[in-house]
Amino acid sequence: MKSQLNRRQLLKLSAAGAAVALTYGMPGMSMAAAKAGGTLKLSVNITPGVLNPMLARAAAEYMMSEMLYSGLTALGTDMTAQPDLATKWLSNDNATQWTFTLREGVKFSNGQELTSADVVASLNKLLDPQTGAPGRRNLGPIKTVEADGDYTVVVTTETPFADLPVALTYPTAKVVPADIIANDFDSLAQVPVGSGPFKLQDFRVDEIAVLVKNADYFVQGLPYLNRVEVKTFPDSAGSSAALLAGEIDMVHDVQSTDFARIDAAAGVSGLRTPSGRFLDVVMDTTVAPFDNVLVRQALSYCVDREAMIELVADGYGTAGNDSPINAAYRYHADAPHKSYDPKKAKELLAQAGYPDGLELELIASVKPGYRSTMAVVLREMAKAGGFDISVKTMDHSSYLDQVWKKGKFYVGFYNMMPTEGMSFNLLFTSGASWNETKWNNAEFDEYVRIADETTDPAKRTELYANAQSLMREQVPALIPCFFDILGAKADYVNGYVQHPRGASFAFHKIWMGSDAPKTS
Amino acid sequence: MLSTMKTLRALMRSPQGAVGIVLVTLLLLISIFGPLLAPQDPESFNFGARFSPPSAEFLFGTDWFGRDLFSRILVGARSTVLLAILATVIGTASGALIGIFSGFVGGWVDELIMRTIDAIMAIPGLLLALMILTVLGSSSLNAVIAIGIAFAPGMARISRSTTLAVRELDYVSAARARGESKLWIIFAEILPNMVAPVIVEATIRVAFAIMTLATLSFLGLGAQPPSPEWGLMIAEAREHMFRSPWPILAPGISIALVAIAFNLLGDGLRDVLNPHSQE
Amino acid sequence: MTISYVMKRLIYLVFTALLVSLIVFSVTQLLPANAATMILGEYATDEALAVLNSKLGLDDPAIVQYFRWLSNVLQGDFGTSLRTSQPVGPTIMDALGRSAILAVTSLVLVCIVAIPLGVLAASRRGKPTDLGVSLVSYIGVSMPEFVLATLLLVWLASPSVGLFPASGYVPFSEDFWGGLHHIALPVLTLTIVLTAHISRMIRSEMADTLEMDFIRAGRLRGLSKRRVLFHHALRNSMLPAITVIALDVGYLIGGVIVVEEVFAFPGVGRQLILAIQNRDLPMIQAGALIMAGSYAVANLLADLAYGALDKRIKY
Repeated sequence: MKSQLNRRQLLKLSAAGAAVALTYGMPGMSMAAAKAGGTLKLSVNITPGVLNPMLARAAAEYMMSEMLYSGLTALGTDMTAQPDLATKWLSNDNATQWTFTLREGVKFSNGQELTSADVVASLNKLLDPQTGAPGRRNLGPIKTVEADGDYTVVVTTETPFADLPVALTYPTAKVVPADIIANDFDSLAQVPVGSGPFKLQDFRVDEIAVLVKNADYFVQGLPYLNRVEVKTFPDSAGSSAALLAGEIDMVHDVQSTDFARIDAAAGVSGLRTPSGRFLDVVMDTTVAPFDNVLVRQALSYCVDREAMIELVADGYGTAGNDSPINAAYRYHADAPHKSYDPKKAKELLAQAGYPDGLELELIASVKPGYRSTMAVVLREMAKAGGFDISVKTMDHSSYLDQVWKKGKFYVGFYNMMPTEGMSFNLLFTSGASWNETKWNNAEFDEYVRIADETTDPAKRTELYANAQSLMREQVPALIPCFFDILGAKADYVNGYVQHPRGASFAFHKIWMGSDAPKTS
Repeated sequence: MLSTMKTLRALMRSPQGAVGIVLVTLLLLISIFGPLLAPQDPESFNFGARFSPPSAEFLFGTDWFGRDLFSRILVGARSTVLLAILATVIGTASGALIGIFSGFVGGWVDELIMRTIDAIMAIPGLLLALMILTVLGSSSLNAVIAIGIAFAPGMARISRSTTLAVRELDYVSAARARGESKLWIIFAEILPNMVAPVIVEATIRVAFAIMTLATLSFLGLGAQPPSPEWGLMIAEAREHMFRSPWPILAPGISIALVAIAFNLLGDGLRDVLNPHSQE
Repeated sequence: MTISYVMKRLIYLVFTALLVSLIVFSVTQLLPANAATMILGEYATDEALAVLNSKLGLDDPAIVQYFRWLSNVLQGDFGTSLRTSQPVGPTIMDALGRSAILAVTSLVLVCIVAIPLGVLAASRRGKPTDLGVSLVSYIGVSMPEFVLATLLLVWLASPSVGLFPASGYVPFSEDFWGGLHHIALPVLTLTIVLTAHISRMIRSEMADTLEMDFIRAGRLRGLSKRRVLFHHALRNSMLPAITVIALDVGYLIGGVIVVEEVFAFPGVGRQLILAIQNRDLPMIQAGALIMAGSYAVANLLADLAYGALDKRIKY
């Protein structure tokens, strides 16, 4: 009973956006009951492989670099920037110059002090195309990064950029010592040198990573845990069994098919947070038949969105409205969901010049598995609307090489982004890094560009609402549903709040209850 | 024709052969007429009846989309059985060609071909098929080709040794001495002698092919969803295995039954066609 | 059997390994996408790809890459995994050790179960015992490993039964019972499938041997049935059986790949599938070599055993 209550409270809290209070806003509140010590054993389903924080690509790697390193800012569960190495930041009036004030006395794990020089070197290294850092283009239009004294960093942007502090929460934007960048950058693949709450003790790919408390961590009293063990369980049945057997304390990813069962078990509770993580059906809008907006609209009427959530996400998701923004974002514009209307779809198809229906091949990578599930469900739903869709699955490497950003009809998978602008600029504007749909809508570009440069929240709300409604109408991609972040933990694990973006973890706030099993 | 009837009659007399031939005939009928027999569309969802246990309406129960498992098994028989036979034919034909050529030509060409075949056979068949499929891309037809390629070396060995044995026979030497063309010798003298061992081997290979095809689909490299190919059905059902066992049991038992049928037929054929057992 | 024969076989083995590595390398050159695509994933830009390709040496001509790999291997260096940036040699040896635990435990169990079963069936030819054994072995032979493995999972690892863990591996050095617990289902799967294969083989070989004159003569001379069965007939039947078992090693290796995949067991098979998926060439090469090597060594051992047994059998 207790676990049920916990989960519901949690859901209510995060839905109301109040969960921030628990994570970042008022740390004092959770500290009152918190108890230091103990070991957290945690399972991830994909092994962390890359240790170099600037080259991290996946959740487990982000998790490792967050524990080992610090950034200028950290992402709150409400998608706002929170202090990390920077204690405060200010911009000039038109948001082209940002001044960050650093904490003093922060030490790297090798004993060196962290100063503005390290921040400047790290950001420049990250922006250098030669580094090949993922997310290099997600940091915003940064022109220069300069130090002003030992504890001030000034970032100048090409164009006004209101979201810079949030953009700098990007998981690869971590600070490493300047001399290592200059002399021995590759060594970070084996030996981390950071200023995070934990230090690395042991690391075996595909098996385990052991991290121990950094006693010199710059936030007094944190972390609570003495030790974190990150174990790789490639198979979800294995990790849930291990949680139920008490071999591990927390499961980072739970499959939607397992969630109800685990949540119902005694002593453990499921963790569920609505997220902006989505699967989309990408259409290349420059080639037939998708260059005709009527075809795209017809397809969007072929989706029973509620049923899609049930069949693809086992009910653990929220309906999408063909825009990448949902209620997990700050500037989500609510609008009635498109209804399932195969008759209307047929009419639109006929208008578009396909009175006898349309044959299409939809490509889905095998990773993650629900890409092909969605493809199969769409195939079945769209039959009534006159579409005959055949599904082709492909191994992930071949998909990345041959289909992604090149194919004309395939299933994409994207994690939530910290900001609306990042999501749009990543996927849907004309200059998007991954401009898959080649939609290139000037009006849309303009809304996003102005919103990027605007600091006034009311104006941004309106601009982003326009952008979302344009996508809903024009359907450059089908976005039928969003997936909740699902995890599970033993009841004695306290202080952990799932982050909707799925790329921040705040493990340094976790503490073990008195009923936790004793560990060395 | 006469000898075929004779073989068949002999086959029916052995218990394995009789059961095998009945089962295989039944299977081939299902493969051909399965889609007509299926009570429901194998792809249509029954939203209200997900994970149903077997009942009068759904003989084998339903899966996570509420699809009728009985209909899916019936329709899936075609892709499972016929494709396995096709893979075996490809493997047998290409293997036999290589083997006859190698054995007939002899010399360093033979040596080169056989050493390469030894090396290929040292790579586990499944691994080879896996790599070939990653190159060709996942699809049922590519899986068939991959299995064909993986089967060919074994067949080549068998047909080469038969060729070598036949080559030394008096009448072949006589034909050579007469100056008959090489092609004629192969077709008239060597091929007929290979039919029996090759058919026995091929029948047992079909059982292997069915299992390998299902395994490749299980690994996500063969049939494409939502095709009711049995291996793929099991692969997809694994995610839901603790909710309902039927989506795994139905195709799992089907695969085993089909493989048993071909194994029985193969053993029966071996007893009948193998000269040693005809005392 | 002479030293020179063994030497010849060893040279032949090395030659096969070389040929295998060449074949595998050629196939990997045909694979769509490469490790750099996979390492950078969805963050790949043409720029970043070019940088990484040259860093990893993937933009050199295939011949150069092959000979660089070969010369390193001859010096005992299997390279660095492109997926994990860890050295390939130790990684694959660890995985091999774990696979060997599976394979050897299964083989031992198979010998304990399959040989008596085959002998029993052959000695009661046509009786219910024989039919029962035959039927069960037909089912075993016709069940692909992944089907059997999944059925065992549903039956023995379901949360309501919970007898065995569904997947994973615990090192024996850490927790002996835990380790045993984790290998139970994979070993059970392999054992059932192999037992079916091998007991069938033994049965049919024994049945033939029992018809032979020297066995009948032995019985007439008044030797006990058991002595005739196990001492004379079995030993004679072992010869062809060993050859077939050795040939079956290739099949066993394929089975290990599937079983490791189903139970997420971190052995060579799983490592190899991961490597293929990630275009991790050094790992693919090392894994394929190990598998082909095991196959070749098994064949060599079978031949040697054959020779040894053959000498001792005199009547």
